[in-house]
Amino acid sequence: MYEKDISRTDPGCIVFLLDRSDSMQERWGNTQETMAEGAARVLNEILLDACLRSQGEPGRARHYFDIGIFGYGIRPIAGGEGVESAFGGVLAGIPLVPLPDLRDSPVAVREYPSPDRGAPPSRVPVWVEPVHGGRTPMCEAIAVAGAHVYDWVTAHPDSFPPIIINITDGMVTDNPYQGATLDQWAERLTGIQTSDGPPLLFNIFLSPASGGGVLFPASSRGLPAPGPDLFRISSPLPPLMCANASHTGTEVKAGARGFGFNADARMLVSFLEIGTRVDLRD
Amino acid sequence: MQIQMVIFSEPKAGQAPGEWEDCACGGVVDEGADGHVTRRARFVVVDGATDAYDSLRWVDQLVTWFVPQPDAAPEPRLEPAAMRAWFSRMQDRWAQESPAVFDSVVEERKFAEVGSFATLLGCELSGLDGPAPSWTAVALGDTVLFHVRSGHLLATFPQLGPDDFGSRPDGVSTLPSRLGQMTDRMLIGSGSLAIGDFLFAATDAMAHWILRAIARGDETVWAVLAGLAHPSVFASLVNDYRRVRNNQERMKNDDVTLLRLRVLEDQPSFLLRSL
Repeated sequence: MYEKDISRTDPGCIVFLLDRSDSMQERWGNTQETMAEGAARVLNEILLDACLRSQGEPGRARHYFDIGIFGYGIRPIAGGEGVESAFGGVLAGIPLVPLPDLRDSPVAVREYPSPDRGAPPSRVPVWVEPVHGGRTPMCEAIAVAGAHVYDWVTAHPDSFPPIIINITDGMVTDNPYQGATLDQWAERLTGIQTSDGPPLLFNIFLSPASGGGVLFPASSRGLPAPGPDLFRISSPLPPLMCANASHTGTEVKAGARGFGFNADARMLVSFLEIGTRVDLRD
Repeated sequence: MQIQMVIFSEPKAGQAPGEWEDCACGGVVDEGADGHVTRRARFVVVDGATDAYDSLRWVDQLVTWFVPQPDAAPEPRLEPAAMRAWFSRMQDRWAQESPAVFDSVVEERKFAEVGSFATLLGCELSGLDGPAPSWTAVALGDTVLFHVRSGHLLATFPQLGPDDFGSRPDGVSTLPSRLGQMTDRMLIGSGSLAIGDFLFAATDAMAHWILRAIARGDETVWAVLAGLAHPSVFASLVNDYRRVRNNQERMKNDDVTLLRLRVLEDQPSFLLRSL
């Protein structure tokens, strides 16, 4: 399991579930950012990294991944509370976007001063804007993502399994949803299979407080709520991602899960880098 | 002493030949005059990184300027200072020939921050007319040179084992900030040549496959590679081993390049054929 490389013939799929509930407006640790701003910034960096990896030949990108981002909480496009694609602009409403289309369609390109004196400003594409409001319908988010993952797996039965990463700061507020609990929605999602294994569901819980975070624990012992619940629904970290972690100096013990708790911005970056890095073949 | 050089290549399964991101080239130079002509040969094999920017142009540039060319600047000597200067010249040329305007902000940043990247194995054979012919090679990354005599492996350069192949090999980068690191990590090796010797230079998928065969005690691989007589035979070999069920014997589905060099006795002049 989890041995397939990503290629244009057998592309991968990465789905982000982004908590957009009201509590995401809190300051993130000692930074000047809210958690909504920080999570959007880190997500945009990871999307840029994926686009950079796909930019092979001049003038075109390679279709290595289909990317989905589902915001849950406030719905800025449809209105009200619930789940919707977090993409804006021409990508609004599209559940899974091929990487070449993502590359071509940021909602904005912002300029930031370069840290190198005299260098031109750094131009940063933006695909996801920070939004917060409403409650935390995490079960619905997993249900919506699961439906799209099912369709994707049907179309790509021999690909590396989809990776679903849930970024949240809150307690789930819709458990049970349509008669099924959070655990059951997670089981349904990870019950779908490609020939290379079931989807990977990773969860990272952000904390407005600084310090005390853990990445990829092998046990939930001692973690306060909702740590044990999120740990339980998180997939074991496959060997290739354990190797990713060791390359970046992150210690991972046997039995580690794709889970982070009380994460700051630096930990979120590490979590996403380790959890989304799969070898590309062509 | 004569040199017979053959290059075999096969793109990844499912990809067009034009998407082969390796490159290889070789050449022979006669130097001197007035009856003091010496002959040396040089070859290079490079493997462009899949997630690099415009690998095809970078690998083409590297092989073009590594081997002797008429009316061109002399190719680099295989020692650290000269290779560092050559890396720098290659980076300058890459930048000069790059687009003035990019198609997207992603492409612009890819060019500036990631650039292109390729493993490199370069080798020179010298003393071919004398009593002590030899090879000297430079390497960055996991493209591997195998020196084989009488069906047995004499040397592997770089000295990699079957477990030394990963997704982050060393290589030649277009980024000037990597110049020092590239020079520091470049390896230099050498060996003596004899009539009948083979040198095989293989990019990582085939090098890994060879090293795993050797680790199993299977030296028949040398007879198989020495006997390859046609590109179609090479393609069949590669594709057959890509489909092998046993993971330990399977060849990774990647671009594959094998340069085979055979050292022969001098032939009558009417049989000589320039490379």
